[in-house]
Amino acid sequence: MSTLQRVMYVEDEPDIQAVAKLALELVGGFTVKVCSSGEEALREAEAFAPEMILLDVMMPGMDGPTTLQALRALPALATVPVAFMTAKVQPAEVAHYKTLGARDVIPKPFDPMTLASQVRAIWEA
Amino acid sequence: MGASRQQDLAEQMAKLRAVYMARLPVELAELQALAGGLQGGEGDRPSLEALYQRLHKLAGSGGTFGLAALGAAARVLEQRTRVWLAGALDDGYAAARRAFAAELAELVQWVVPGAGERATPSSAIPAAHAAHAPDEAIQVWVMEDDAALGQQLVRQLESFNYRVRLFTRIDEAERAAQAESPDMLIMDVMFEAEGRNSTAALADFPALRALGCPLLFITSTDDFESRVRAARLGAVGYFLKPIDIPRLVNRMGQLVEQLSAPPQRVLVVDDDADLAAHLCLVLRAAGMVAEVLRQPEAIMEALAGFQPDLVLMDMHMPRYTGPELAGVIRQHDKWTGLPIVYLSAETDLERQIAAMRRGGDDFIIKPVSDAQLVAAVRVRVERARQLADQINKDSLTGLLKHASIKEVASKEIRRARRTGKPVTLAMLDIDHFKSVNDTYGHAAGDLVISALATLLRQRLRQSDHLGRYGGEEFLVVLPECAGADAQRVLDDIRQRFANLRFSYDGQNFACSVSAGHSTSRHAVADGEANEALAAAGDADLLAAADAALYAAKRGGRNRVCAAALEPSTAAVPA
Repeated sequence: MSTLQRVMYVEDEPDIQAVAKLALELVGGFTVKVCSSGEEALREAEAFAPEMILLDVMMPGMDGPTTLQALRALPALATVPVAFMTAKVQPAEVAHYKTLGARDVIPKPFDPMTLASQVRAIWEA
Repeated sequence: MGASRQQDLAEQMAKLRAVYMARLPVELAELQALAGGLQGGEGDRPSLEALYQRLHKLAGSGGTFGLAALGAAARVLEQRTRVWLAGALDDGYAAARRAFAAELAELVQWVVPGAGERATPSSAIPAAHAAHAPDEAIQVWVMEDDAALGQQLVRQLESFNYRVRLFTRIDEAERAAQAESPDMLIMDVMFEAEGRNSTAALADFPALRALGCPLLFITSTDDFESRVRAARLGAVGYFLKPIDIPRLVNRMGQLVEQLSAPPQRVLVVDDDADLAAHLCLVLRAAGMVAEVLRQPEAIMEALAGFQPDLVLMDMHMPRYTGPELAGVIRQHDKWTGLPIVYLSAETDLERQIAAMRRGGDDFIIKPVSDAQLVAAVRVRVERARQLADQINKDSLTGLLKHASIKEVASKEIRRARRTGKPVTLAMLDIDHFKSVNDTYGHAAGDLVISALATLLRQRLRQSDHLGRYGGEEFLVVLPECAGADAQRVLDDIRQRFANLRFSYDGQNFACSVSAGHSTSRHAVADGEANEALAAAGDADLLAAADAALYAAKRGGRNRVCAAALEPSTAAVPA
């Protein structure tokens, strides 16, 4: 079975960006592309060809759900698994995000030590 | 992961954290300046929007950098700005904004230099609370200053497969809440040693208040003031001591179900495309699933396809009025219970009443604030679901009643036939139940029944269906589940149930359960055989499960048996 390598991470908050990048690269051994906005993600996604995309829900400009919708419209990204990252997730909200097409939701604040394995588990699910 | 990588991560995290901590005072000062500049009117909207965005970030980043209390306090303030932004910035807002600014100024107290710096990298950052998988036990915190009573409560709840943690002081729980959060919180009202009434004191504990999980109170004194304060805190249960455990567990079971309830579905019928799109947006932002119907003629198809929990309808549309459409909907038996709410500028009371006579349930008068709309819809859907539950569900266990579970079983068997995937039916029966009732009384018997119901709910998947078939008999429908898997899952439940220790009036006892199951053969049958199977009907599968249960009983009880001969094969003509 193939293993997860290329992860795109979309998040506007620089501090969280840095922690997550570290956690995904160092602990998970992934190749990570960080984008600071939904717009940037749309520009970069096809060239980077991610196998998995992590989307912050609340971003200025394009928010997570809108970005997901736009990504899905790109043929190359129509089926790439996507997980939302958001704070205080209640089960009903998780269900809602799943109806939008996300495979799962990673709650914030996340644990840098286990983030990579969480992402891998979602990808393999 | 190797030790050196852990070391690397710890070092780099420490660096990032140092940068974050250095910038934090600046960020807090800027937030304070923004809050201090609020004038108390509509002109504040841009500042509030900025505050909302930045508090949201702070709430997220605080926890990641080991400042969970700061994160939690920021979250509380963030929620407040969100509520304000959703409505009009009126006098109520103007009065509240100063307290808000004062609380924001106090955020700095949570910036503790040493917090989050621990010796080992694995505990460097408090782990986030992950959404629990269906198989994971529900986490409950019990806050009870009477340690003996607390421990008794813990033992009882643990026998219902809850994972329970006991706190005897409020501040201990507050500290724990900075790093993790339970799925449910049970709190005593009076903390004698601390001299605190927790319904009044909770305001001083931001992390506890920010948990956002269902909150239940237990108390030995029933005073109105405490009840009102509990209600203000959003408590969902208030239980008097001595605690009636089956009732408490029953309520907790309902809450677990609500937590995992599917999102509410709303169909918006409005000819004004802009307004309809706006309504949908507002409802979706509140976590609901909303769809617009622009052709009223297609209303019945839309109901069948979308299966809404509620219809929100404009009173006046070009060709048909709302009441006319409601009349059409009510002509169909299936939809007599569907809440229909009119959205209208109609303030004439008589015309409102006339419209309601035609099958509508309520009015929302335009213009309506977003918060008002969401609240009105949410409450009505919850009521309608509660009502449906009362009709379909057994009051002791919250499981489906006899008729409903049989209906579900037929539906799943038909679906299995369509999809070619297996479905398993299982019958369970508590062993020697009559002697439990005779020895310990009916209340103890009820406790045993709800314990098995709770266990089934927690050990089976969301997509499985559970019903109380008779007194101590249960029917479980497991879609897309093969016989071997069913055997494994049911046997696990059997063992767990046998390990439960019930205590009633100081007497301890244990019970066991027997089960029989039968799996459809549709998955392997060819098309022609399928037709024959359809004729063979659901009754065979159920009868086979029942026969297997009988075999388990005859074989000595406390065991799980599969149907000897898969039923439909016998019914298929050779």
